Order: sequence, then C-alpha cells, then structure tokens
Amino acid sequence: MKTKIKTMGTVLVSTAIMASMLAACGSGNNNSNNSSNASASPSTEASGNTNSGNTAEAKTPDTSKKVELTWYLLGDPAPDQQKVVAEWNKMLSADLNTTVKLNFTTWTDWQTKYNLLLASGEKVDMIFASSWADFYKFANQGAFMPLNDLLPTYAPTTWSSVSEQDWKEATVNDKIYAIPATYPEYTPDGLVYRDDWRQEFGLPEIKDVDSIEAYLDGVKKNKGVTPINGKAYNEVFTMFKASQGYQQIGGDSGVIVAKSYDTPRDIVAYPFTPEFEAWVKKMKTWSEKGFWKSDTLSDQKEAGDAIKTGQGAVYWRNAPGAGGFITGMEKSNPDIKLGYFPFSRFHNLTMPTLSVNNAMAIPKSAPNAERSLMVLDKLRNDPKYYDLMSYGLEGTDYSMDADGKHIVTPPAGVEAKDFKGYGIASWGYRVESMERVKQAGGWSGFDALLEEFKSQSKPNIFAQVIMDYAPVKSQQAAVNSVIQQYGMPLMMGLVPDVDKAIATYRKQLEAAGVNDVLKYVQEQANKSFDAQGLK
Amino acid sequence: MKGLFQELARNRILFLMIAPALLFFIVFAYVPMVGVYYAFTRFSFDGGLFGGEFIGFKNFEFLFNSGVLWNLTKNTVLYNIAFIIISNVLQLACAIFLSELPGKWFKKSTQSIMFLPFFVSFVLVGAFVFNLFSNAGVINTMLTSLGLQNYDFYLHTAPWKYIIVFFHVWKGLGYGTVIYLAAIMSISDEYHEAAKIDGANIFKRVRHITLPLLVPTFVLLILLSLGGILKGQFDLFYQIIGNNGMLYNSTDIIDTYVYRSLAVNFDIGMGTAAGLYQSLFGFVLIILVNYIIRKVQKDYALF
Repeated sequence: MKTKIKTMGTVLVSTAIMASMLAACGSGNNNSNNSSNASASPSTEASGNTNSGNTAEAKTPDTSKKVELTWYLLGDPAPDQQKVVAEWNKMLSADLNTTVKLNFTTWTDWQTKYNLLLASGEKVDMIFASSWADFYKFANQGAFMPLNDLLPTYAPTTWSSVSEQDWKEATVNDKIYAIPATYPEYTPDGLVYRDDWRQEFGLPEIKDVDSIEAYLDGVKKNKGVTPINGKAYNEVFTMFKASQGYQQIGGDSGVIVAKSYDTPRDIVAYPFTPEFEAWVKKMKTWSEKGFWKSDTLSDQKEAGDAIKTGQGAVYWRNAPGAGGFITGMEKSNPDIKLGYFPFSRFHNLTMPTLSVNNAMAIPKSAPNAERSLMVLDKLRNDPKYYDLMSYGLEGTDYSMDADGKHIVTPPAGVEAKDFKGYGIASWGYRVESMERVKQAGGWSGFDALLEEFKSQSKPNIFAQVIMDYAPVKSQQAAVNSVIQQYGMPLMMGLVPDVDKAIATYRKQLEAAGVNDVLKYVQEQANKSFDAQGLK
Repeated sequence: MKGLFQELARNRILFLMIAPALLFFIVFAYVPMVGVYYAFTRFSFDGGLFGGEFIGFKNFEFLFNSGVLWNLTKNTVLYNIAFIIISNVLQLACAIFLSELPGKWFKKSTQSIMFLPFFVSFVLVGAFVFNLFSNAGVINTMLTSLGLQNYDFYLHTAPWKYIIVFFHVWKGLGYGTVIYLAAIMSISDEYHEAAKIDGANIFKRVRHITLPLLVPTFVLLILLSLGGILKGQFDLFYQIIGNNGMLYNSTDIIDTYVYRSLAVNFDIGMGTAAGLYQSLFGFVLIILVNYIIRKVQKDYALF
C-alpha cells in the first residue's frame, strides 16, 4: 500500500509540474475570453430597454440608449484593423449612439468556429452568412432571426434598394433570414494556364478536354514540369463535372448530380454512370503520364504557387479568382503570360451566383437586432462608412483616383514593397454601385468574359434546392467518408486497378446508403422545381 | 450524518485545501457530462441546448450503418496498444540510462533535447513528414542520387503504420522519461550501496533493484492510458495522413472517420454519439483491467 501511494505521488507531482508549465503558455487565451464575456453582458441589459421603447413608437428608431454590438466576419482582420474599427466606432457613436466590436473567425477551422458560434447561442448581433457556409441549413433549423418585420423600419434604404429576386433567394419558409449583398457575380470554375508555354511549343488552343490533355502533355514533355504541381483534386473534379454538364445538387462535396441543366429532374449519383467509368480510366492514364504527382492528395500546396516559381502550369480558379491571380502575377512575375479557360465553355452555360452567396444575417441570440440593422443600413449606403470598412483608411491604405470614383493602391507616397493593404471579408455587405474597385482585380480580360457569361446566362435553379439532410443524415455522413476514402483516389487515377476500384467504390457507396440520400435529394429537388414552376 | 459533520469540523483545513480541486472537477468534468444527452437528441437552434427532440439511438447509426466500425475500432485499439507499450518501454529504458549516466551537464542537455519534440505542434510534424516522404522529399531524393528506384510512399499503406508509431513515440519520449526519472530518483540510494558492497555490477543492480521498484509506476501509467485506448490521436493522424484516401485502410481511426463524416454536415448529436461510444468503451476497459490487476497483485491496482 505504501509503495502505491508513493508511486502515485511521484506521478502526480511530475504531471502537475508539466501541467503548470503548459498552463502558463495558455493563459493568454483565458484573458481574451473573459473580456469578450464582459462586453457581452451590458448589451444584454440594454436590449430589454430598446425593445420596449420600440413597441411604443414603431416608426422612429430610438437610439437614446448606448449600445455595444458584437459582429462576426469570416476570415482574418487586416493589419491595421484596430485603427479602422476605432475610426468606425467614432462615426457610429456620433450617428447612432452605437459601437461595434468586430470579431473575426480567421480562416483556420472557420467552419467549426462558425458552427459553434451559432450553436452555443453566444450573443452575436450580426454575422456573415452564405450559401457556402450552410445559410439555408441554419435558417431552416432556426439559427437566424426572421427579419421581415424589422427591415422596413430599421433598414429602410436597404429594404427598398435590394431587388425582389434577391430577397426571394434569402427567404426560407416564407421568412427573410439574411440581408444579401448586392453584387451579382458569375463564378464558373476554370483553369488558369501558362499561355506563353502553349505558344512556345505550338500547342493547340484550349477549348475542350482533348486540347487540355494535349496541353498538359506538351508541357510535361517539353518542359519536364509537373503541370498541376500541388493539390490537383479541384482541377480534376470540377473539370469532370463541367465537361459532362453535370449540375451538382446539395453542396460541392456530394455525389448527387442532375445529368444536365435541361433535364433537372434526371438526378443520379455520378459514380454509377458509365461516363464516370470512362472518365476515371482517362484520369488513370493522365496520372501515369505525370500530369500530377502521386502524393497530390497529401500535398498542402496550391498548384498556383508552383506557377509562380516556374514549376507548374495549371491552376483551378473561378473566373473572378482567376482575374485576381492573373493581375497579381502580372505584377510579381511580368515575364509569365497566363491564359484562362472557363469550364462554362464546355456547354456554353453560366448561372449567376445566388444573392445569398454573400450576406449578413442576425443570429437568433442577438440582443440588439434593431440597432445592428441600422448600422448595416448605414454601412451599405453611406459612402463614408462603406469606403472605410471596405478599403480602410484613406492615405494609409488607399488614395482616391483622379476621377473621384475609384481607388488607387498603394496610396500616393507609399512604396509598393512596404504596402500591406487593407482587405477583410467585407463581401457580406458589398454593394455594386458603391464599389470603387473593379471585379477580378481589374484584369483586362474580365470584361469580355463577363459579356460572354451574360450572353449565355440561365437562372440558377439548383442552388435553391434546400436540404438539411435530416432524414438521411447518418447515410450522408457515411457517404461523405466513402467519397474521401475511395472516390478521391479513383478520381486522381492513383489506384492500381481501376475496374476493381470502381466496383469497390460503388459497393461501399451502396453500403453507406447512397440510395437513400439520392432518393431524399430527388424528393427535395422535385419539390423545389415544382415551386419554381419548372417542368 | 453526525459523523460527517464532525469529520468536516475536525479536518476543516484539509477539506478547504481540497475544495478547489473538487470544484474544478465538478465544473469541468461532471457538469459537462450532461452533454451526453445530446447523443440521443436531434439538435435544434430553436429549442436551445435542451429543446431537441429525443430520437433514441438514431445518432449512432452512421457508425454502425456502413459496417466500418469494426475496422475502425480495431485500428484505433491496435495503434494505441502499440503506442502505449513501445512508448512506455522506451521511456523506461531512457530513464534508466539517464539515471546511470555520470556527467551532470551531458545528462541535463540530453534530457532537454529529448523533451523538445513534445513542444512541436502536430501541424509541423505533418510538414516534416510530407517533406521527408513526398515524391520530391528527402528520402526519394536520396534514393535517386544513389541510383535507386523511387518509392511512392503516398500510394502504399504498408510503411505508414511504422511512420505514425515512430512519430508518436518520438514526440512523447522526453515527457515520459521525466516521469520515470522522477520515480527512479525516489528509490533510496541505500539499496544500491548495499548491492555494490555485495559485488553486484550495474546490470544486476538495474535488473534486481531499479526495475522491480519501477513496476508500480509502469502499471499505473499503463492503466491511466488504457482509459483513452479508443480515443485516437486525432491531430497526429490528421496531420500526417490528411485527406489521402489511399492510406485509410491501415490508418483510419475513429476520430478521423468521425471528422471526415461530419465535417461537411455539422451535427452535434452525431458528434456526441461518437464521443460517447469511445468513452464508454474506455470506461469498461479500464474497470476490467483494473479488476484483473486487483486479482493478481492488489497493491498495483488503481482503485
């Protein structure tokens, strides 16, 4: 017995020492938590008052109570964020008797943090929302506050300026749950590629899968460079979808697609199609030719980084993203000439993004929804506010162009190499008419592309199919796992025996319950198509 | 009842001293246990934390549905057994070597160097691993320059078991060594001196004095780690293997499977269900092993 106590003692003491060492490292975090709690509580008290004041005089918003709001944006703050927010708060307290504590999720693990913010019921007055951040699912589950009654009173300018269609896309079960950004975009996937190499080796103009293959082959043979040097899954998977004309339903990661835009009700799980079989066989040969490396699934590097160093040739981007990448390269590597091939050319079809692709929403737990809407209304419509929160401080982050409409970065008198710039995830409150920079980073080729997209544009009928997968969530979870384990290596042509791998993949999908998921998606899609009045 | 109050009054200082620890466990270990309830509900933002609808065992279905649970449990348990045994044996050995080393300066610096990997984050370990084993990594570059055939590590499952175990052991070695070293220091010098006078050499002393006296610590540490045998080292596996489905057959553990399944569609209920399965399994295991140890050698048992 004595030995036992003694042993326990040694173990405990040494662990305790270790624990205290580690605790010392972590104490910084605790402090920040405390401060955020402390700031949340006074605003809770204030909310009761604002509410009662408002029922009495519904039309004139009462701002006599000082309120501190908590906002969350996705992504990282800018280096001089504190200065910008301080300036913003100065303006806000003068105009609306309000200050805002602006928080950022950062990009690391943003999905988990975002989910937790909403699930834990933390007091948040406004948060970025988006169809790609599960807006429809959260709205359907009741995570956001319905805004129909509040908008006309507290955000009148926004209420009247946002189009009917945009509001419709932010509506779930007849209630508006978000204020969409007013910034129509086309974001088809596509490939950025080294056009100078294409010309140097006399390779064909890129216009379909065969010419892409010829290009990749030419680069590999003549230059000895791995064309897609880094993570290559997005390049290959989006090309597969687009070249087949498949329209994915219910998120970017599933296996359920409509076989074409014209037959939206022909919904299948793509791994079971003969087209998929043919495609992965082709990918096997591509992989063997060395178009990407065999460790591509574990690689963390973006293929675009390799282009910068002359070690790669192809990079997957959506159209505005490609513009930003190309203009960036024109500055940093003027000797490299890039081209862009949007996958929309496979079938001459583009769909505009939904208005809620970027939006701001108010969580159910918000103590000061009314004031939050007033701030957003100001932010979207007052150029002073808009410029500050979109482009930062004039003089240090940008300076006005001679025409007084656009901005110049870096500002006059600042060296390009010392310039950090201001950029936060301000997409949620973006308004096209207020913008002072051109889409796609001002890329010269973008206007022509935009014309092309507009001329072949069709309404986005698929993004409105709302699903929370509640009845089939265990099957869906299992399917997700199977896609990664069997689908991704197959798509990248890494498996030794393609036929066997296809059979295994299909068998595993079926075991995971893919047919239940398919049936559920078909039902939901048909319901949505009926509501949209489609055949 | 009267006895309890008397006890409280008599030892009030002692009870006061233990109060913070009790409070800590109540707040951070017992109160959160209420969350187990989520495993049986469909979470809804409308109802708040406890407003979800009760749905019984539905949240567990995704674990059992596809028939992968057995393979996952097997992988997790086998990895952890390898981790526990190899780590503890090596830590014990290192501690004995260190304690028998004469030079103080050399001993201290060795100990510090061994401890350093403990502070390296798994994200960095993942980067090390990729740069060692990728196509253009250190090992393949070496093979090429020696005129040998390249080896595609990321297409074969075989080497990864060893790589993962190696990095786990490497990372925890210094930490465990310190614990064993502390236990060795508490062995009275008198035993060793008496043995020396009787003519025992260093091996005999280690074999017959140090090792037997360390057995209780060894058993205790193993018992403590057994409780977590179904909890995989998520960061280790995730950072080293990542999204590479080619390697999952031999490297998929419960934690990575759950992450992969739920990352796309966040669900509190199903996440809790998986956690509950792991904890319950660990609980049963530790009770069982403790029971066996108590039968065999009563003094070594945990409770």
